[in-house]
Amino acid sequence: MFSKVLIANRGEIAVRIIRACKEMGISTVAVFSEADRDALHANLADESYCIGPPPASESYLNMAAVLSVATLTGAQAIHPGYGLLSENAKFASLCEKCGIAFIGPPAGVIAAMGRKDEARRLMRAAGVPVIPGCDDVADLEDLRRKAADIGYPLVIKARSGGGGRGIRVVNGEAELERAYQTACAEASAAFGDGGVYLERLLSPVRHVEMQLLCDTKGNVVCLGERECSIQRRNQKLIEESPSPAVNDDIRARMTDAAARAAAKIGYVGAGTIEFLLDADGNFYFMEMNTRLQVEHTVTEMVTGIDIVKWQIRVATGHPLGFSQEDITVSGSAIECRINAENPAQGFRPSCGRVTLLHIPGGPWVRFDTALYQDYVVPPYYDSMIGKLIVYAKTREEAIRKMQAALCELVIEGVDHNSELLSDILSSQAFLSGDYDTGFLNDWG
Amino acid sequence: MVLRKGLFKKPKNDLEGVSWDASGISVPDKTYFSCAGCRRMILTSDLEENLWICPRCGHYHKVPARTRLSWITDEGSFSELFADIEGIDALDFPGYRERLARERAKSGEREAVVCGTARVGGYACAVFVMEPFFLIGSMGTAVGEKITSLFEYAAKKRLPVLGYTVSGGARMQEGILSLMQMAKTSGAVKRHSDRGLLYAAVLTDPTTGGVTASFAMEADVILAEPGALICFAGPRVIEQTIRKKLPAGFQRAEFLLAKGFVDDIVQRDRQKAYLTTLLSLHCEGGPGCEGYRTGTGGALA
Repeated sequence: MFSKVLIANRGEIAVRIIRACKEMGISTVAVFSEADRDALHANLADESYCIGPPPASESYLNMAAVLSVATLTGAQAIHPGYGLLSENAKFASLCEKCGIAFIGPPAGVIAAMGRKDEARRLMRAAGVPVIPGCDDVADLEDLRRKAADIGYPLVIKARSGGGGRGIRVVNGEAELERAYQTACAEASAAFGDGGVYLERLLSPVRHVEMQLLCDTKGNVVCLGERECSIQRRNQKLIEESPSPAVNDDIRARMTDAAARAAAKIGYVGAGTIEFLLDADGNFYFMEMNTRLQVEHTVTEMVTGIDIVKWQIRVATGHPLGFSQEDITVSGSAIECRINAENPAQGFRPSCGRVTLLHIPGGPWVRFDTALYQDYVVPPYYDSMIGKLIVYAKTREEAIRKMQAALCELVIEGVDHNSELLSDILSSQAFLSGDYDTGFLNDWG
Repeated sequence: MVLRKGLFKKPKNDLEGVSWDASGISVPDKTYFSCAGCRRMILTSDLEENLWICPRCGHYHKVPARTRLSWITDEGSFSELFADIEGIDALDFPGYRERLARERAKSGEREAVVCGTARVGGYACAVFVMEPFFLIGSMGTAVGEKITSLFEYAAKKRLPVLGYTVSGGARMQEGILSLMQMAKTSGAVKRHSDRGLLYAAVLTDPTTGGVTASFAMEADVILAEPGALICFAGPRVIEQTIRKKLPAGFQRAEFLLAKGFVDDIVQRDRQKAYLTTLLSLHCEGGPGCEGYRTGTGGALA
């Protein structure tokens, strides 16, 4: 086991990882930006070091600074959390060169899954259904021919893309050429690669993802699905496990597909395969996240497996202590993302001092956060300031528990979205479980 | 209330499992370097992928001669000439012998210039590229001899010459012998020119002293890299002599372009295409230049 781990992240996920390390007897090294000097993660860790000015590009994304801290403190491994350097193949490979374990999959796997067209090819080769479309577009003539084959509406996506950039929806042939050119230009500017591919626009669909855990011995275990269809502008807001739309048959097929995909690419660590699920029970591979997910918590609640601890164990070469047959998903878990933003004012981000904080409690209520009383939420980073997770025997009970917990949550000094979350939970569509990714499009 | 140090206690949990072997944790040498332009730590591989231009600030870094050759010459076409000519310590200058040995070990080159023939965009030509990592490309007797020999070879074979210069000037350890190379190389350039043959030079940072005052500035077409310092005496020397502050950008490529001393400033990613165009304009059907093109009977064909 590693005796010292550096956590190359901030906020609630850094705190989450530090807690796992403390339970495992591992010393922790935190890195922080000048804006995060008083952050909880920097104080909770055994050692903490400032790595640069507030913008993430100057600090948390500064690979040289992170590696310097790791080598100078003798950290044997780096946990990248999610976002920031977590899916950076170059960083993973640098860690390897420096003799430091990167807690995540090998750099080659990150790179392959980062190329969306390559990921599609690999998944098809593994027998995983992919969204009907094509893997590349050579020129305008090729585009017209392939678009006609796929049919409208379709989506043009950047092959090196992410974060919603380089994506254009095309409703008909008249929009095709213009959308292609803007998508290519945007992809080229954002990712230095103007290559795009096409996919049919599936609607209505649900976003359902499978949590995987793989070790270095080739064992692959699927920890069940998560329902993530409640999204605003491609940002997930509420997640639950199990999905109300997934029956035993779909679950078995999806588990099998996800496990085959992981085995095909030689995956190691925790990873997630995202699928789009249509009303007929067909599902299609969308992308693979080669890291810990924000919403890993709901899976932990329904399986009883601490995913972060297993990430660390697997990174040391430890085999998984359980097989697929040992996994039982019981009960129902829901996660609400508490964002520092004001839904009444166009979701304007909010920052400032937390003047009063009360965290809800009680059985099976979990609040993952880096907030504390008088903490100043800095304006430089993601607006998510906490994750409220509840668990109950049934979905109905879980919704009731979440409603109660949201009402008990008090964060004064910064605006947040708990009322919106409460409204969503009490909507008929959510209560019935019959919703799709368009749920928030028409939200009042 | 700000969290005070030591607020949280360390749990008394033993390490789970057996301790991991921590030996071998270190950042390998040359993984990173500090950019002279912005002072940031830049990943060496990022710099190399970006043609040795800082991806953060755009600063043009010095490039090893053979890397440059790989950029501008057609793959597999470079054939080295005069590789065995190397400097000697003719004046018994203190420490020069050891310095030469060190520079050779550091750069992997025997001297501060690499000469040969190659094809550029399909055109046969003679090329020389100075080595910034060998005594900053300073010109001693060996450099002078190699440059002179290359121009003489090109004149004899009727080849155009493309050259990349980078130099701290004449090599002080070789005293007057290195100064004599200015006249010697200039004579060879002139004889090559007299035969109606093209010589294009790309001046890179820094091109100074005796090299500027001889073959660097004698090209028919003088190109420069952005921001390159091109001078005889450097700005610090001039400032100390005239006791006046020099204008911003003095002696930089852009300044020299404005004053008419260089013909164009060409970014690295455009240089091969630019040189190919120059060769096509001067070598195809021009007087005395027929036959340079691939497959039409040129010296390398």
